[in-house]
Amino acid sequence: MNEAQQLKLQALLDGELPEREAREILAWTQRDGAAAALLAELKNTRQALAKSEPHLSVSESREFYWSKIEREIQRLEPRATSATGFSILARLRRRLLPASALATVVIAGMIAHFNAPQAVVENVADADATSVETTLANSDATTYRDANEGTTLVWFSPAVDDSPANNNIPAAIN
Amino acid sequence: MSGNNYSDDEALVKAARHGELAAFEELVFRHRDQIYARAFSMTRNEEDAVDLSQEAWIKGWQRLKQFQGESSFTTWMTRIVINLCLDHLRKQKRQRADSIEEMDDESGGVERQMPVVTVNPTAGLERAELRKKIDAALGQLSAEHRTILVLHEFEDMEYKEIAKTVGCSMGTVMSRLFYARRKMAMLLANVRKDI
Repeated sequence: MNEAQQLKLQALLDGELPEREAREILAWTQRDGAAAALLAELKNTRQALAKSEPHLSVSESREFYWSKIEREIQRLEPRATSATGFSILARLRRRLLPASALATVVIAGMIAHFNAPQAVVENVADADATSVETTLANSDATTYRDANEGTTLVWFSPAVDDSPANNNIPAAIN
Repeated sequence: MSGNNYSDDEALVKAARHGELAAFEELVFRHRDQIYARAFSMTRNEEDAVDLSQEAWIKGWQRLKQFQGESSFTTWMTRIVINLCLDHLRKQKRQRADSIEEMDDESGGVERQMPVVTVNPTAGLERAELRKKIDAALGQLSAEHRTILVLHEFEDMEYKEIAKTVGCSMGTVMSRLFYARRKMAMLLANVRKDI
């Protein structure tokens, strides 16, 4: 029996042969005693190994085994991990940030809507009572002051950060 | 773990993917023996197996986002530790000087001449005794033969998958598996104890 024939026998056992070839090899084992004996040996070995993998356990304690893993994870990504409470808070904060920015814009808009027309029309000639000024050189913030109403509106327009959540966030100061 | 009661791996994996290290620790605790056992079956060295299994967990944490749940979490982790063990064995092989003994391992010349074991050497053995004999026999195989045998018999991998994992031809897989089985048969039968 040559090596190729031996490997065919094994392939038959492992179900790796095409159907026609499997039938041929099976017929051969029925005619050839040596082939049948080798096939039986391979089968016995396979059966012995099946579901007989030795059971092994880590001898180190849970804490000791984990400590090395934890240390390495923390070393590789110190800020990526967190305790549960912190992670929930962080996720909540991330989700609420755009909503809170939008709410601030809406409130400021409403204040401007109810106050500004009256202030502008009534005080358009009175430069001291109502004024609009750009407070920063690169136009980061604009202040709207209504002396009659005692209202100051500061309008922030970040020049560098163009993310939607940070654009045009007004703050009303009374 | 923040009062959470995780009953299955899926929930733990989900929490770990969101950065909960405590959830990942629980996964490690649940499956560390299985991952360690696979590393030991391939390396046959307790210290290496502990190190490689820990390295596998670290890689597992780093790649958690890639785990899509097509297989079980333990299958996924087992693949990671197998790959690490294969890298480890390759490094060891490179460091070893070529020898005649190693050439015999590759060609399987010795095993081809062995007589067929006609009786089932494990018949009538208790499961615990059988496991002990198998463990001892596995320890006497070369790393190349043992690797293929472990992947085929314990991981249920097909020839093609083994060839891809190990990085060799299907012919080499078949050849190594054949000689590994023949050697195991002889060792289990105690025909030759010093192969």
